[in-house]
Amino acid sequence: MTLQQIPRLPLASLGVARDDNANGAAAPVIRVDGVSRWFGSVVAVSDVTFEIGPGITGLLGPNGAGKTTLLRMMTGLAATSRGSVTVFGEPVRDNPPLYRRIGVMSEHETVYGFMKGREFVEMMGRLRGVADLERAVDRAIDLVDLADAQHRPMDTYSRGMRQRMRLAGTLVHDPELLILDEPLNGADPRQRVHFKRLLLELAAEGRTIVLSSHILEEVEQLADTVLLIVNGKLAASGGFRAIRAALNQRPYHVRVICDAPRKLAAEVVRLPSVDAVNVDPDGAIVVLSRNVQDLQIELPRLAQSAQISLRRVEPLDDSLESVFGYLVEQ
Amino acid sequence: MGSVYRLTLRQLSGRWRLLIMTVLASLPVIIAVLMLRSPDAPSVREFETAILGAMLAGSIAPLVVLAIAAAAMGNEVEDRTLANLTLAPIPRWQIAVPKLLAVVTIAAPFMALSAFLTSWVAYIGDVQASIAVTVSAVVGVALYAAAFVWLGLVSTQAIGLGLLYIVLWEGFFSGFVSGVRALSIRHYAIALMHGLDERRFAFGSHLSLTVAIIMSVLVFGGFLLSSVRRLRRMDIP
Repeated sequence: MTLQQIPRLPLASLGVARDDNANGAAAPVIRVDGVSRWFGSVVAVSDVTFEIGPGITGLLGPNGAGKTTLLRMMTGLAATSRGSVTVFGEPVRDNPPLYRRIGVMSEHETVYGFMKGREFVEMMGRLRGVADLERAVDRAIDLVDLADAQHRPMDTYSRGMRQRMRLAGTLVHDPELLILDEPLNGADPRQRVHFKRLLLELAAEGRTIVLSSHILEEVEQLADTVLLIVNGKLAASGGFRAIRAALNQRPYHVRVICDAPRKLAAEVVRLPSVDAVNVDPDGAIVVLSRNVQDLQIELPRLAQSAQISLRRVEPLDDSLESVFGYLVEQ
Repeated sequence: MGSVYRLTLRQLSGRWRLLIMTVLASLPVIIAVLMLRSPDAPSVREFETAILGAMLAGSIAPLVVLAIAAAAMGNEVEDRTLANLTLAPIPRWQIAVPKLLAVVTIAAPFMALSAFLTSWVAYIGDVQASIAVTVSAVVGVALYAAAFVWLGLVSTQAIGLGLLYIVLWEGFFSGFVSGVRALSIRHYAIALMHGLDERRFAFGSHLSLTVAIIMSVLVFGGFLLSSVRRLRRMDIP
């Protein structure tokens, strides 16, 4: 079942109003300002500053990069050692009323195995003061497509089912802001597809969704904005392309297929934007460039002047995986 | 608060936990019966010192309470489910109070029945004596519960630390160092027994009823407030 098929609880019914500043422009939903967190001598997060607005923001980084610590500070579960986190303009730490507007799903399987799935979602709704509880629980369980299993104890669920029922518990009070730590862990391929579609629909309704993942493909598919966390620091932020632009010193591999590879290779290597050229056994040229913008302009011109026909030009590492690997190496 | 209370009742009502509590709570009754049936039956003073003071108030009650109170928060910290509660828009006292109430709800009937039967057998159906012992046992349960719920929040070793506290503080120091009695839940219970029935513990020195009541309120309130404060300030796993 999709969101379009399920009657939504209007946000206004929960006493929720959108935050707009005096100019009518949307204020950031989350503001992380100079936040650091250390545990003894170990610095988990170091002087991180960013703002998050509506839409899906992906928090990306390797294990141990500080993503979960950062998310925990963003939810108020953990204190900052330095700096501040505000959500909807208010400090999130020790501010329980704010949780009417926030739904949080941690990476751990925080369920009570003795409870039936529906009981869990009901309890979460009751704790969050949901007025029309039955309707809200029905809707949340329908959203995660677990109506058939709702009356079974949760310790009989698969890991993916527990994740989905936890998501139902996170959505039951119809929060404006969703913070999800590794939400796709344990989900099978079908569940992943369903989950991604659900998140995209929730974001399309104007919600703010922050999700962390180390599965780069998923973040790339879901997130409008990416925050790259490496060694506790914000390595890059913005749209995927913006991150790439910010990393213009990074070497790019571009694969070129043409009708005269050796001739083109001899010409291309002279271009100032090109660092190296290899001709593959299959006849394709792999160009290494640190200035791909210039290469995009120079390569067609060169091919035209040399009367070489270009059949295909494609980046070999135009994925978050490669960007991420590069950043980690730095 | 009802949701947290019901959740905690279910969490703490495991079969093994209830079995341990049943065995522990039965011990004073069984030992009292055996003692009274033996040819050299103990004096009232010996019975009150050994069974009511040391065993019931100083060992069994704290052990029964420790078995569940340390888990009330401790298990939620350990399995990371506490975040389900702290991420709800409710004040922290609405988590700490129902948790504590649930512990008392489960432990109090066990200890009340144990205390009542033990004193009923020993005092041969003396209602006033049985009520005095039962009420003081329930008060002891509430005080130990407040202490051990807090302990479960501040330490992952709550059971071990709780046992050390029971053995060293309540069992050893409070019996030999008179000044420690003012900080001993066991001695608040003894003073309450004496206050409700002056024939009980009518020997030796013990705390006055007034001091015991004031200290009981302070201990209960202090640990409860400390739990609330801890919930507000701790990093929730």
